[in-house]
Amino acid sequence: MIYIVSEENRRRFHHLLTEMHRQRKQVFIDKLKWRLEESAGLEIDSYDSHDAIYLIEAGTLTSDVSVSARLLPTVRPHLLSQQFADLCEEGLPAGPGVWEATRFCPAPDTPAGAPRRQMLGRMIAGIMETALLFGIEQVTYVADAALAPMALKVGWDVRALGAPRGEGRNRIQAFVASIDGAGLKRVREAFAITAPLTRFVPADLARAA
Amino acid sequence: MPASKIALDFLDFCEKQTSAQVIEDRFVSTLQALGYEYVACASHVDPLRPRPGGVSVLNYPVPWVQHYSEADFARIDPVFLAARIMSSPFNWVDCLAKMRLSREQKRVLDEGALYGLSKGLTIPLRSPDVIPASCSLIAGSDGVDPLAMAHVLMIVIYGHGAMHRRLNPDALADPVVLPPRERECLTLAGCGKSDWVIGEVLGVNWRTAHNAIERAKKRYGVSSRVQAVVRAVFDGQIMVDDLTG
Repeated sequence: MIYIVSEENRRRFHHLLTEMHRQRKQVFIDKLKWRLEESAGLEIDSYDSHDAIYLIEAGTLTSDVSVSARLLPTVRPHLLSQQFADLCEEGLPAGPGVWEATRFCPAPDTPAGAPRRQMLGRMIAGIMETALLFGIEQVTYVADAALAPMALKVGWDVRALGAPRGEGRNRIQAFVASIDGAGLKRVREAFAITAPLTRFVPADLARAA
Repeated sequence: MPASKIALDFLDFCEKQTSAQVIEDRFVSTLQALGYEYVACASHVDPLRPRPGGVSVLNYPVPWVQHYSEADFARIDPVFLAARIMSSPFNWVDCLAKMRLSREQKRVLDEGALYGLSKGLTIPLRSPDVIPASCSLIAGSDGVDPLAMAHVLMIVIYGHGAMHRRLNPDALADPVVLPPRERECLTLAGCGKSDWVIGEVLGVNWRTAHNAIERAKKRYGVSSRVQAVVRAVFDGQIMVDDLTG
């Protein structure tokens, strides 16, 4: 299942959040060689904060993380507005009804191909469920050459915000996805998802004995 | 309470205290408030035989500390070894996996894990005395918010410094500073040169070289030139690479 981790309940998710930052370090710094800061084996950037919503797929609150992603409100500085504004030729969608999705991170040992595609499908379904829950209408994201074609085909309604930049594997492009029930239905059908994937665990749930 | 407030309150508290013991207690309770169960902030020596003037804050389980001391694990502890090599904070899982450890070193980790001491985070510390030091932290069952990391580092580095200052109030009063001639002569002595050779290299009388080294020894209050060289290296007045030429 995909846990929705927000400021309200994040204190129950210290293990999964730490594991997510560890995986981000292994994937983005060690494997993809992105130039990011790390501290004690964790990748944490200036957009990681209590304002971000994290989606973390795991069996339990202490088990291994299989995939994670980060959703940022666009009413504050975010990655697209600060780092990638040049990718949005026709303006940058932002406002209270818009989130930005970043740091899509499959666990480092995820095999390429079908398992990754399934993971992306589940995460996009999770993003849409969460967006609908919070009344979010649009989600922006930047995708590289590997991710962009996959993310276009999952069934949600996507359009490019500008032409791609860069060459080969470093080619990146900005997109915006519209979020609605019909789109979520299409994504669920495409990935044989028959029930909601996301769970919101309240912060003050009485602890199991 | 947010981690930033916990950290700033701790710094504020340290400023107002004169007793290292009081800071030690607050140091542990502050880190526990952030979710750490076990704290070991100390020089890399036998925990039951701390050095005078050395910071030694430890709340590891008592039976483990006794066993650790009896088995003399401080001499081979892989966490200490890593902390001496690493210049930035590291977590045990990632860092120790990259080290080639002996069976005895693995035993230290395995036996510590039986007492709940695993998956730690270690912050290497610069200690003004000659013994390397570090602070190891082990999270409790609820874990620690990864966004608190920056505040944890601030608490540990500042707290260690504050405790060290209280334990060594005169440390800053009389630091040894070697004049250039003494440093030159001591460096050459550290390379194994005799008074006569040092005199030749520097173009001075051998007696001048000899006297400069004697003055340096006196400054450090030591009786041999080897001791004086070692002290000057730890002081940072002689660089280790200066001794390889």
